[in-house]
Amino acid sequence: MKRKAIIFTGALLLTLAAVSMAFAFGGGNGRKGKFLYRKSCRSCHGKTASDLSPATKTQAEWTALFKDVSKLPCNKEWQGLPDKDLNDIFTYLHDYAKDSPTPAKCS
Amino acid sequence: MASNKGASLSRRDFFKASGLAVGGGLLGGLAPSVAKAAVPDSKWESHFSACDMCFNKCGLVARVRDGVVTKLDPNPKFLKSRGMLCARGNAGIAQLYDPDRLKHPLIRVGDRGEGKWQRIPWDEALDMAARKMQEIRKKYTPCGHLFSAGADLQTQFVTRFAEVYGSYNITSHESLCLLSGTRGFLDTFGEVPFADVLNSRYVIMAGANRFEALVTPDSMDLMTAMKDGCKLVVLDPRFTKTAALAHEWHPIRPGTDMIFMLALMHIIIGEKLFDPEWIAEKTSGIEKLTEHVRQYTPQAAADQCGIPREDIVRIARELAEAAPRSMVYPGRRTSDYENSTQIRRSFALVNALLGNWDRPGGLLAARQVGLKGVPYDPPWYDENPDDRVDAHKVPGMFEHEGSFVITRDAVLKGEPYPIKGWFVYKTNPLVNAPNRKKSIEMAKAMEFMTVVDITMSDTAWMADLVLPAPSYLERQDPCSGLQGSVACACVVKRDPVVEPLYKTRPVFDILKSIADRLELGEHFDFSMDEYRDQQLRGLPDAMDALDRDGVYYNPSKVYGIYDGRIYKTTSHKIELYNKRYEQMGQDPMPVYTPPSSVPENHFRLVIGRNAYLTHGSTCNNAMLHELVPENELWLHPSAATKQGIDTGDTVLVSSAVGQGEIKVRVTEKIREDTVYMLTGFGPLSKGLSLIQDSGASIADILEDRFDTISGNASMHETIVSVTRKVPA
Repeated sequence: MKRKAIIFTGALLLTLAAVSMAFAFGGGNGRKGKFLYRKSCRSCHGKTASDLSPATKTQAEWTALFKDVSKLPCNKEWQGLPDKDLNDIFTYLHDYAKDSPTPAKCS
Repeated sequence: MASNKGASLSRRDFFKASGLAVGGGLLGGLAPSVAKAAVPDSKWESHFSACDMCFNKCGLVARVRDGVVTKLDPNPKFLKSRGMLCARGNAGIAQLYDPDRLKHPLIRVGDRGEGKWQRIPWDEALDMAARKMQEIRKKYTPCGHLFSAGADLQTQFVTRFAEVYGSYNITSHESLCLLSGTRGFLDTFGEVPFADVLNSRYVIMAGANRFEALVTPDSMDLMTAMKDGCKLVVLDPRFTKTAALAHEWHPIRPGTDMIFMLALMHIIIGEKLFDPEWIAEKTSGIEKLTEHVRQYTPQAAADQCGIPREDIVRIARELAEAAPRSMVYPGRRTSDYENSTQIRRSFALVNALLGNWDRPGGLLAARQVGLKGVPYDPPWYDENPDDRVDAHKVPGMFEHEGSFVITRDAVLKGEPYPIKGWFVYKTNPLVNAPNRKKSIEMAKAMEFMTVVDITMSDTAWMADLVLPAPSYLERQDPCSGLQGSVACACVVKRDPVVEPLYKTRPVFDILKSIADRLELGEHFDFSMDEYRDQQLRGLPDAMDALDRDGVYYNPSKVYGIYDGRIYKTTSHKIELYNKRYEQMGQDPMPVYTPPSSVPENHFRLVIGRNAYLTHGSTCNNAMLHELVPENELWLHPSAATKQGIDTGDTVLVSSAVGQGEIKVRVTEKIREDTVYMLTGFGPLSKGLSLIQDSGASIADILEDRFDTISGNASMHETIVSVTRKVPA
């Protein structure tokens, strides 16, 4: 678990480094992240949990939220998700956050 | 087809309405709260709808007798349009009953663009469309198919279909219109504002033409505001109707608006004409902006833009004096120059200094409408390439809009990957996109091209398969959320006011049918009524209001939306200095570079609108055609004399990429170094009977440059020669 956390933090740092250099793209695959977000997150958010889209939060808020995913109420549902998938989801949420260059539209 | 739950008027309703009309008060120039207007006798039916003759979606009441739409009236309860329906709105009848409408599915049987078609049954047409889409997907990956859709209530189904089919390559019309303005304001304020012209005391309108290129309610509200003392200053190389009604018209040298704005900032900052507390609290980068604009003196601006120095100084002072109830109007179409995002950033920055954000008479944030999205879950396709075909060419492209000009270049090169299928709905790049030769080549590069439209547009003319859609008066649409500046945040819906005249199908039905054939039917497993229920799930009273009044209003907050909230920018403040631009290698504050010079006996071609036409979609409309039978080239008398040209002469307008023949109108309403023409004439299609051989097409003449940040087309960068055509 600790190793996983280190890898994820590393991926996050890579993402953030990439974001600071590029205009819109993080380290993960944002497109895949969008697909995974729809599959893994929206089954609750928008139905039984609060409505959620990347544009619900700022990039800093997404970053803070993903610093410790174990504290999220969704953590239980996320146990089976590989780190790569989580990073892709993070990249999507981060790159289309409300203060991003292209905030997400609902879809 | 669903039944219309719209308004049927009884005589009693009419009398009640009349009573209200006498007793009611006025609101912003609007007739009082009259739900239903007069009808002559009980044989008439009246149905609410929303106009589709341009993008504004004004509320209307269709008067129907014996199944025939006889008149379209404005919906007096529709605040966004202030109870108005314009010439184009009235001419919606001529669109419905246009003999040139597409009536059956057509398959190309001659060469592409040759105009030889064969009528085929719907099932055969849909089978073919599905089969070709499947072939292209297998051969080139799903991203090998492009989808292009214009502004329409059913466009969301094209996007939905493209995503579930698996293509990232979706282009809207907006990269031929407004995206650089959107980018400039978004990157300053964190969202794209609405202009509260109704409550403004001073409006600078640079390059916008609101009394002809109508935006509701801005066009009407500006008139009302001017009656109440608002001053209007227009900068335009052309003496438009807006210029004619303004307090001041300055025929600015095209492409120099930015230095005018920078000089306004020079004065406002230099003379400390801003509210220092507001700027300190709400904005980021005032010190850097102060330093940056020092170089842009009024004299430097005057030398570039041709507006006298003393006028620039006076206008800056007057604008600041009226602040925060003053503005530089953001404008809509901004597809003009290669630095148009930065030009619009300069507009946005003047507004920021005026402290007018989120305040009466200034720029307004988006209000809550309450309409919900309808989520869907497209599959993932591992075989797809990493990104859109137009990715990585400009740093600030909008993922959900794309760039048509960059996409077209990619298609022609076949790089970074081939695109061989094209589905087009209600957009007409063969008319609206610069450099038509390339658009024709793009169509020819396709293995299969499907166009859904109501008439044989120039783009349909290049297709393999043309599918006829119903007009807006014959179909059921999703609900749409609209903000009418300060007037309202509202929802409209559209139901058929008459039965469809022909065997047409809405694009929703077409895509649903194709999805079924591609085993993607689960993503279109709903009716339009069910879809609308989903959209309205947060607004339990909305459907009743829509049935009763033709519109639902959300009484959401208008001003002070940002009180206690952060701005959606990197710094979480209004960004005078944009750090993200700095990181991208772009100018963090707008840096003026002069436009290309116009050689002697040459002209800069500018384009624009009048109030009678929505580009190519209305030129062939019988009612509007009476008003504007063809386009003309505006040419200044001194330039005309030099060239020996008179009004009515036919000239050849030539650029580096193409040419067109057009009649000249010699007029002092244009600068000597500039010419102007309307969009939408000079068609390729032989299916538009009224405008055959009428005028020239901008698409033939304009060069295909684009804004280097947003990828929006740059349609004022073309220099042309004008030569008199000697009669044979």
